Amino acid sequence: MAEFWNPYATPDARARRLLGVGAVVTVLVIWSLLAVSGLVSPNKLPAPWDVLLAFSYLAWHDGESMLLTATLWSIGRLAAAGVLVMAIGIPIGIAMGAAPKLNAALSPLVDPFRSAPVVALLPILVMWLGIGEEMKIAFLFLGAVVYLIPLVRDAIQAVPQSYWIGARDLGATPWECIQKSVVPMAMPRIADAVIVAFSVMWTYITVAEYVNARVGLGQLIQNARRFSAWDQVFAGIIVIIALALTTYQLMVHLKRKLYPWETQQ
Amino acid sequence: MSGAASSTPAPAAATAKAGVTIVLKDIVQEYPAPGGGTTRVVDGVNLAFERPGINMLLGPSGCGKSTILHMLGGVRPMGAKTPTSGKILIDGAECDGAHDDSVMVFQRYANRPDLSVFDNVAFPFRLKLWRQRIAETEWRQRVADTLKAVGLADKQRLRPAQLSGGQNQRVALARALVLRPRILLMDEPFGALDAQTREEMQRLLIDLHNAQPCLVVFVTHDVTEALVLGDRVIVLSAQPARVADDFVITEPRPRSGAWQRSGEAVRMEERIFEQLHASGPGRGSVRVTV
Repeated sequence: MAEFWNPYATPDARARRLLGVGAVVTVLVIWSLLAVSGLVSPNKLPAPWDVLLAFSYLAWHDGESMLLTATLWSIGRLAAAGVLVMAIGIPIGIAMGAAPKLNAALSPLVDPFRSAPVVALLPILVMWLGIGEEMKIAFLFLGAVVYLIPLVRDAIQAVPQSYWIGARDLGATPWECIQKSVVPMAMPRIADAVIVAFSVMWTYITVAEYVNARVGLGQLIQNARRFSAWDQVFAGIIVIIALALTTYQLMVHLKRKLYPWETQQ
Repeated sequence: MSGAASSTPAPAAATAKAGVTIVLKDIVQEYPAPGGGTTRVVDGVNLAFERPGINMLLGPSGCGKSTILHMLGGVRPMGAKTPTSGKILIDGAECDGAHDDSVMVFQRYANRPDLSVFDNVAFPFRLKLWRQRIAETEWRQRVADTLKAVGLADKQRLRPAQLSGGQNQRVALARALVLRPRILLMDEPFGALDAQTREEMQRLLIDLHNAQPCLVVFVTHDVTEALVLGDRVIVLSAQPARVADDFVITEPRPRSGAWQRSGEAVRMEERIFEQLHASGPGRGSVRVTV
C-alpha cells in the first residue's frame, strides 16, 4: 500500500498491461453475467456474444462487408475534414500565438466556440451547405478546428521567450524568429493538439452522418437503431471506439518518432 | 581545455584589426512599475569601451547590469523603449535596435533541444542575414573549426540533452563565436554552472579570447570571476545602476591562485566590496567564491 498513493511509482509495462486487460475482462464478465441472469432485458443490453455475432454479420454477409464500406466512408470523411482542420487551424493558431494583436482580435471569435454546442450548428450547416458531403465534412471541420486553434496558440505561447530573443540577437527577422525558432519548438504540443482534434472528430462522426447519410458508421448505427437491432448498435459503437483508439495510438507513435527530443529535455 | 584554442585558425583578418568602440552616454532606463509609475533601473551611466579585451560589469543581482548588456545588443525583450534616455554609439553610429556587430551568450543557454550540436552552432546560417553573407562551404568549415576550438568536435552529432551543463554552455559560446563578432556580450554565462565547470569555462574563454580577440562585455555578480577574467572591472551600484568604480587589471591571464591571493588582488577585492557596500546596502547580493 505504501506505493499505492504515489503518482511517481509507475508499475512496469507488464503490470500495467495486466491491470488494463484485467479491467476490460472484468467489465466483459459483469456484462455477460447481466445478460445471462436475465436481470436486464436483451432489448436494452444485448449479450456480448450477440454483439459479436452482429459484428460478424456486419463484417460479412451476402457477399459484401457493410462494416468495411461504412468504415472506409467514415475514415474518408474524417481524413478530408482532418486535412482541412490542419491546413486552416494550424496557421491561424500559429498566427494568433505569435502576434498578440491578432490574438486579441481573433480570440473572442474562436474561444467561445470551444464551449458552444457545435451540434446545434448542424441545422444551420444543412441550410447553408445542403445535405451532401460538404455539410458532413464542414461539420467535422468546425467541431475540431475550434479545439485545435486555441491549443496551437497556447503551444506557441508556451515556448520560452529566450528562444525568440536568442534568434533575434543572432540577426533573425521577427518572422524568422517565429518560423525558425518558436514554431519548431512548439511542434510537439501542436502535434498533441492535432491528436485531440482527431479524437474530437471521431466523437462527432455519428452526428455528422446523422443527416442523410447513405453509408458510414454513423449511418450504420442510426439504421440499426431504427430497427431496434441493439446488438448492431453496440457493434457499431465498439468499432468507432476501436478506430478512435487506433488513430490515437498511431498518432502518438508518429509524434514520438518525429519529436523524440521532447521527452529528453 | 587549455591548448584547444591554439588549433583555431587565425581569425579573419578583418575582425582582428577592426577594433570597435562602444560609447554609452548618460544612459537612463526606466520601466513601468507594477503599481503604476516607473522604476529607474539604470541611472546616468557613462562608459566607453575602446579596445579589444574582457570588460567585466560587476554588480549585485538585479542591479540593472543585464539591462545595460541587452541595450548594447539591441535586444528588447520588454517591448519598452530602451534606453529611456541617453545614447549608445557603436563606432560612432547611434545604435537603436538589433544590430549584427554583437552576439550575446545567455546564462540560460538557448540551445535548441531538437537540433544536434552541429546544427545548434550552425543555426545563425539558417537566417537570411548570414546566408547572404557567408557561403555554405565557408560556414561549414567555420562551424567545424569552432566546435574544435570549444572542445566539442567529437560531440557534434549529439543533442543538447545528451550534454552536461558546461558542454551546453560551450555550444552557446560556439554559436556566438562562429559569427566572429566584434563584440561578445556575455550575460552571467557561467552563473548556473558548478564551481569546477565554471573554472573550466573561464579558462576556455581566456584561450578563445587569446586566439580571437574581440571586445567582450561580461556581466557577473561574482567578484572572483571579475578578478580572474577582467582586463577592466566596472562596478555598478545597486538598482538603479550607476558606475561606482572602474579600474584596470594588468596581470596577464590565466591568473594563478597565487596572484588571486596576492596583496594586489586582495586590495582590489576589498575595493570592490567597499564600493558595493557604499552603493546601498540591502538590495541584492554578491557572490564570493575564493
